[in-house]
Amino acid sequence: MIQTIHIGRLLRESVSGPYRNLVTRPTGAAIRGRIQETLAESDCLTTLLDFSGIELLDFSCADEVVAKLLLADDGRGGRFVVLQGLREDQHEAIEHVLTHHRLAVAAVAPGQEHESPRLLGWVTPDGRAAFRCICERGAVSAHELAAALDWAVARGEAALEALAIHRLIRAEHGRYHPLPIG
Amino acid sequence: MTRVIEVPATFDDRSFEQFAGGFGSWPPEEKLLFDARGAQWASPYGLIAMLTAGQALAEAKRERPLLTVPTSDDVKRYWARIGFFRYAGELFDLHGRVPKAPTGPSDVLLDVTPVRGTDDVHAVVEKISESAARILHGELGLEMKATLRFSMALSESCQNIVEHAGTSGWVAVQAYTFRRRLGRRVAVIAVSDSGIGFRRSLESTQAKRYGERWGDGAALEAALIQNVSRFRDPGRGQGLAAIKRFLDQWQGKISIRSGTAKLSIVPPWDEDVPLGEHLPFFPGAQVQIVIPAQADEAR
Repeated sequence: MIQTIHIGRLLRESVSGPYRNLVTRPTGAAIRGRIQETLAESDCLTTLLDFSGIELLDFSCADEVVAKLLLADDGRGGRFVVLQGLREDQHEAIEHVLTHHRLAVAAVAPGQEHESPRLLGWVTPDGRAAFRCICERGAVSAHELAAALDWAVARGEAALEALAIHRLIRAEHGRYHPLPIG
Repeated sequence: MTRVIEVPATFDDRSFEQFAGGFGSWPPEEKLLFDARGAQWASPYGLIAMLTAGQALAEAKRERPLLTVPTSDDVKRYWARIGFFRYAGELFDLHGRVPKAPTGPSDVLLDVTPVRGTDDVHAVVEKISESAARILHGELGLEMKATLRFSMALSESCQNIVEHAGTSGWVAVQAYTFRRRLGRRVAVIAVSDSGIGFRRSLESTQAKRYGERWGDGAALEAALIQNVSRFRDPGRGQGLAAIKRFLDQWQGKISIRSGTAKLSIVPPWDEDVPLGEHLPFFPGAQVQIVIPAQADEAR
């Protein structure tokens, strides 16, 4: 099951004015708290954080909402968080803060959940190649990935494990699946 | 006895040192008179520096200072238009007639605005969004995405007051022409507070690392060059780093003055010194960000 959390709605509920800009650390921390509450009460495997309707996203707020949400990994259990509805400048802010923390997340455009998600943050070139391969081919084993990319199996295993640890793919019974967002 | 602080005829970040030098030791014991009668022009940086001085004197529980308003009607009208007198009246005894603030279109992107908390930062960013696009994209020829970066720089600069100063501060944003230095239009963000300054903010975490070098200049270097924050949170310090990247892309300039030092990242069009030390003491921190119009060949 997939749930969507509308960040714009949380913003309106978290600040005193009708603001559309996601700025300041206290605002970001308040929104992250609301997201974590929703995640804790939910059984959904995937949560889409929908940023559509948000104008500016500054670095401090991106750090509080996205980076610290991913850092507080314990609260996520075995579930996946995917971003949706980001504009290009917002991609950049999130890319920057996640790279700073050596974290990564996937982002999809609204209504394009069946297209390949975009990776934001710190992912090795091998990780990006493996992610692309899984998005194109569907679930693979380490052997299949290695064969597809002409890699040694160990290299494929390392890339897939790193992606799974960051919850950018789903590992199950020795096979690695695309993010469950479709 | 009253000490007269002469407000420079052209009051910007350069003539600021003359203004700061007028106070002697800080906080001055004497009653102060800010003499702005001869003022011909003041940048947002100069105007909020005066408010910062007034605020710092109030916080130091010194006698309420006097301020003689400019003689020039044009100058008075502009100071009224940008909202200076609205707040100066709370901090100074004003001498001279203050005009009503004119309305209508102007180059002011953001009036002089107090920054006291998070809500003020939200309000500032909301308020500037529309005019930033009009002036940065329409007049200065910057790409639309630069207007968002500009708002982000404004947001991060204002947050530094809320998070680090220990008191409130001021912000103002305006577009004008840098005739002598650049010969082009610029958009300028000025942010100032009368708080603890960078040295005290970073002292507990950085002083030992710098040893004998520790001081206002080293503190600015730690914050602006090394992106160090007083918070141990590893996500901190990214705001100034982001501002620097934005300015590098658009040939902008940032200067931070705190205590007795000023550190600037100087673009090719400017001749400022990167680091000025042993300057006259001035309380808190003063930040100026300048984004120039893109040269025709770069558009």
